[in-house]
Amino acid sequence: MDPVLIGEILSGLMFFGVIGMLMLGFPVAFTLAGTSLIFAFVGYHLDIFTFSSFTAMAGRYTGFMTNEVLVAVPLFIFMGVMLERSRIAEQLLMTMSKLFGNLRGGLGISVILVGALLAASTGVVGATVVTMGLISLPAMLRAKYDPKLATGVICASGTLGQIIPPSTVLIFMAEMLAGINSQVQMAKGNFAPDPVSVGDLFAGAFIPGLLLVGLYLLWMIFKAITDPESCPATPVPEEERKGLLKQVFTALVPPLVLIISVLGSILWGIATPTEAASVGAVGAMLLAAMRWRLSFQVLKEAVIATATITSMIFIILFGASIFAIVFRQLGGDNLVHEFLSDLPGGAIGAMIVVMLIMFVLGFILDTFEIIFIVIPITAPILLMLGLDPVWVGVMVGVNLQTSFLTPPFGFSLFYLRGVAPPTVSTGQIYKGAIPFVVLQIVAIALLFIFPELVTWLPKALYN
Amino acid sequence: MLKILAGLMQMINGLNKAVGYTLAWLALGIVLICFSVVVERYFFSNTRLWAQDLYIWLNGAMFTGVAGLALYRGDHVRVDIFYRAANKRRKAIADFIGVVLFLLPFMYVVYTYSLSFVQRSWRLFEGSANVGGMPGLFVLKSFIIVFAVLVALQGISMIIRSILILNQREDLVPVDYRYEEPVIEYSKE
Repeated sequence: MDPVLIGEILSGLMFFGVIGMLMLGFPVAFTLAGTSLIFAFVGYHLDIFTFSSFTAMAGRYTGFMTNEVLVAVPLFIFMGVMLERSRIAEQLLMTMSKLFGNLRGGLGISVILVGALLAASTGVVGATVVTMGLISLPAMLRAKYDPKLATGVICASGTLGQIIPPSTVLIFMAEMLAGINSQVQMAKGNFAPDPVSVGDLFAGAFIPGLLLVGLYLLWMIFKAITDPESCPATPVPEEERKGLLKQVFTALVPPLVLIISVLGSILWGIATPTEAASVGAVGAMLLAAMRWRLSFQVLKEAVIATATITSMIFIILFGASIFAIVFRQLGGDNLVHEFLSDLPGGAIGAMIVVMLIMFVLGFILDTFEIIFIVIPITAPILLMLGLDPVWVGVMVGVNLQTSFLTPPFGFSLFYLRGVAPPTVSTGQIYKGAIPFVVLQIVAIALLFIFPELVTWLPKALYN
Repeated sequence: MLKILAGLMQMINGLNKAVGYTLAWLALGIVLICFSVVVERYFFSNTRLWAQDLYIWLNGAMFTGVAGLALYRGDHVRVDIFYRAANKRRKAIADFIGVVLFLLPFMYVVYTYSLSFVQRSWRLFEGSANVGGMPGLFVLKSFIIVFAVLVALQGISMIIRSILILNQREDLVPVDYRYEEPVIEYSKE
């Protein structure tokens, strides 16, 4: 048999083999690399793989360890963890609930707004869903909210961290797309391409993020008007209302200013994402200190959480590099290239297929695994077919976010199940998510039809 | 025999906890150094190039050095569709297979194919590629080896845990290193 064909079959088997092996439940980073090595071993015995390919590995790893842009990841995680552990996030949510509590659907609106803000600081799905699930869900249930609506709005708002800048997902995506784009442009004969930066991706994701928040809010308002029973108002007692203005200024304004200034300085090109992130991290510590919450214990918890989360993400990147090295040498890249280029519908057809694959992968894998595996093998072809790298990145983000919200496998739903009281059934959580999945699909359709929603802001800001 | 293994497991856990919880503080170092670089640049128009390398490298050292601890604490993400509901025996078997089949070969490859790369760097006393940057890039590169060794050791500790659990000796496993009871999906329609 033709060695090229054997290699392609083997690389195809490897892709599904990895997914199968992951079901064992062993940590993803190691399963990913280990399974790839098994296939490398088989390939070696079939004379289609040489282990000398791994000499490139150490250089790649050093590249990740000395990458300036990726340092923004631990910095943003530190900022988010600090806001969470010092309970600033919690206060933000409580104040916001009081502010909107008098309105029908007010608690839901506050969850959406806080979800968007917290998203902007953590980018870690689990943390936001858990925080809001612990604080807002009991409050909404006490207020006699329909449990379906309450859980749906929490799950959906919790996933916003994937897409609303400064999401850590977008940082990695920008870094990968930048490399791929310059190679693709080079291959096309464009030797001075516009580089893709984290700022571009943040700017590109900004309007789609607002669009999603807007759609969620509209749905909440629609429910409040057409189905008042589902989201009653929670009158705030008189004595609490007196202190509310002061609370708004102490609990709401400072984190708001911090988040907006960090994001603003990146978008306006005043600071690089890494620089802005360090300011955000120090700012979060200051906010905690101002409330006498910056204890040694909180600081210790914050560094441990930051270090372990960062390590977890980067080690997946290490594992995915092994996958990429083996997949490429076996000829998997060619296989994907042939498959995607021959699809009907050209670039858009290829994009739809990639999106569907990622959506399904989202049921079993977390964001980072998906983008580390799928982007390096599919993005070169998508960009070669002429798609805009920023648009591709943002679409992938919204797509994965939708996947995490889709019953029965969505991650967000699992996280909420973990913290929701037993009186809320799993079925209710699933049903509650469905309207928001529909809103996501509307948003994706809009971004497909009007790609300018993504591409306009980066061009306006940086050209 | 099992007690000796348990002792070895405890030693490995102790090592990774000591290294991991110490290196975790690099996170604070990254925040403060990066922030000071920003302040110097924007307010004093001054850039210390070595400091610019330093916080970047600290991240590299942190995430490699903490990986073993993260494994100890169970922070590495798993696809837990089946794992979550599995009983302790099954979890022990899954981890045993995972370490032997995936983790140890991975760490072996990382170690083997990085060693000469790191040795070359030591011979050159390689520094930053940036002019005026940090010396000692060879130290940072060595963290690839540190990573491989610490994670492989933690893998061995996980194997021992599996053996102990499968031999009904959970009592020899420290409480925070035991498997959680399976999560039973609550459903009441």
